[in-house]
Amino acid sequence: MTQAWGRLWWRIAWRNLWRNKRRTLLTASALSFGFVASVLMIGLSDGVVEQMIQNGTELVTGQIQIHDQEFLPERGIHDTLGGSDGIDLAGLLAALDEVPLVSGAAPRVYGGGLVSSGDETVGAILMGIDPLREPNVSAFAENLVSGAMPGPGQILVGDQLADDVEVDVGDEVVLVAPAADGSLGNDLFVVSGIFSLDTGLMDGAYALLGLEDLQFLMALPQSRIHEVAMKVDRTRDSNAVAEEVGNAVQSMAPGLLVQPWSEFLPQLYFFTSLASASNLVIAGMIFGMAVFGVANTMLIATYERRREFAVVRALGTARRSVGLTVVCEGILLGAVSLAAGVMIALPLMAWIHAHPIDLSRWVGSYSMMGSSVRPLVTVEYSWDGPIFSGLALVVTGLASALYPAWKAVRVPPADALSSR
Amino acid sequence: MRFRARLPPGGRASLLLFGPLVLAVGGPVSAQTDPRALAIIDEVDRLWRGESSQARVSMAIETENWSRTLELDSWSLGTEYSLIRVLSPAREAGTATLKVDDEVWNYLPRVDRTIKVPPSMMVGSWMGSHFTNDDLVRESRLIEDYDIIISFEGVREGGAGDGQDVWEFTMTPKPEAPVIWGKIVQEVRKADRMPTWARYYDEDGELVRQMSFSGYREMGGRLVPRTMTVEPSDSDERTVVTYHELTFDLGLSQDFFSLRNLRARN
Repeated sequence: MTQAWGRLWWRIAWRNLWRNKRRTLLTASALSFGFVASVLMIGLSDGVVEQMIQNGTELVTGQIQIHDQEFLPERGIHDTLGGSDGIDLAGLLAALDEVPLVSGAAPRVYGGGLVSSGDETVGAILMGIDPLREPNVSAFAENLVSGAMPGPGQILVGDQLADDVEVDVGDEVVLVAPAADGSLGNDLFVVSGIFSLDTGLMDGAYALLGLEDLQFLMALPQSRIHEVAMKVDRTRDSNAVAEEVGNAVQSMAPGLLVQPWSEFLPQLYFFTSLASASNLVIAGMIFGMAVFGVANTMLIATYERRREFAVVRALGTARRSVGLTVVCEGILLGAVSLAAGVMIALPLMAWIHAHPIDLSRWVGSYSMMGSSVRPLVTVEYSWDGPIFSGLALVVTGLASALYPAWKAVRVPPADALSSR
Repeated sequence: MRFRARLPPGGRASLLLFGPLVLAVGGPVSAQTDPRALAIIDEVDRLWRGESSQARVSMAIETENWSRTLELDSWSLGTEYSLIRVLSPAREAGTATLKVDDEVWNYLPRVDRTIKVPPSMMVGSWMGSHFTNDDLVRESRLIEDYDIIISFEGVREGGAGDGQDVWEFTMTPKPEAPVIWGKIVQEVRKADRMPTWARYYDEDGELVRQMSFSGYREMGGRLVPRTMTVEPSDSDERTVVTYHELTFDLGLSQDFFSLRNLRARN
């Protein structure tokens, strides 16, 4: 019986809703628009965040890194994986290749030194790499302006660095670097290529050479490396994969520290968290504004029906039931708007996802938090945005019906019937 | 630059490799400097000004990860010019450093190239020691960059100057001086004008490193501290410089301190 009763009030609410079609459609449009705006905005914001993470991690760092626990933040030359004993590099890389979802693992040695040619000398960050593995993780190989990745006796430099020391592909440079035994390593290298990552930090300071060349220059044995950087296909998997990597390698040497990008790029992580949090605030504001508009409309609708409410009250309907019809009306309005919003939002999202809007023609690319950002407007699918927006929409309908419902309940039957 | 090789904290010192000077007078003197301090420094300085010297030196470097000893030949003229050549170990024999005024060049025999040390690397370690390239250059500029006062005068107990009548000079950087230290304190014995120690503080007033002098003896006809030890305060590391031979008045001219001479092997 209660079920039939409940269905009855829903039906009455539904009919009431469509008594003034134009008004209801306009109100529903406002709510649908709010939903679409909210979903799209969160999607765009997620897109920007995802792109920032990708740009921030795919240039050099990768999404997961292994260091000796002493290595960061000082990046000391002696703090190699496994300490001064080093590590079985081939075994380590083989183990990492086995971990599912790790799509690339690149060993690295770092050093600080001077790059010099003729009268020009500049300080540089020397990075010893495996030229076969490095392209799987970082973007150096994809961003060669000229030449190739470095082979034995060769070096790859950023375009700014190349400008500073006035060298081109095929020229000779001198490298000077403090070595692990306290001596001053120095040797000649031939420039194999020039890269440009569009960030001043990298292009002006990084010089890449073969892992073994740099180890020799810095008097480090081949078992000693400072870092393994790894690529994960989807950045959101980073934390879980980092844990798996940790399990896979922990027994290989003492003191290994495996970190996802959110730990070794804390500023980027902070910024992306901030962006996600601000999504909710803005979505909240959109629906907050909608609440008052919809409440106003519904209030007018209830005033128009004062006499009806008075009649049903006079016929013995409980106050609660009268209020409930109005609330049901609000919820139904929200549901209708949601349905319409979903029908608009989903194709729109899919379309933008498939056809990102490239703004670089107008604004160029810029760099932020050390990562080069191409202003590509795209959306990222996630369930969070639509679910949150949908809930917010229905809650909006409900909330905006409460005050009108309360007014409807308070209609005094005798007065409303006797006057107008 | 995010990367920092593990080098000792950089800074300046009156590096004895370039003549056993305490301080060197040069350039304009600020009104903040105590005239009496200046007079003493000037007196000490006059003994060496314009002098040329040659020294055979050993530099023993101890760090957490390695220890080694360099044998060096050094020549200097006043505080403006100096040339240092590494004699051993073999891997670095022939490596040489030339300092003229504010500039430093290194000659690397392995690649047969001369490299001018860029400004960004001046705080880098010199040959892995606890001296920096900046130490070589800045020595001649102390009075230009710092206000100097006598912060203590009298008999001091303990330390290298135990029971001696000493002056203690405190140097604070002039407002716009391009320096690294927040404060330098140096103690000098009154009797023979010999330095006993110098302490280097950062901008927060924390002790960064201490330099101590010992083994005072006649070399080349003059009293000098034969041994100088530099110890960064955040570790047990040290660099000890010891003079084996020291001669003055060689009659070296400025021409001696040339890039051509930097490259020449003995």
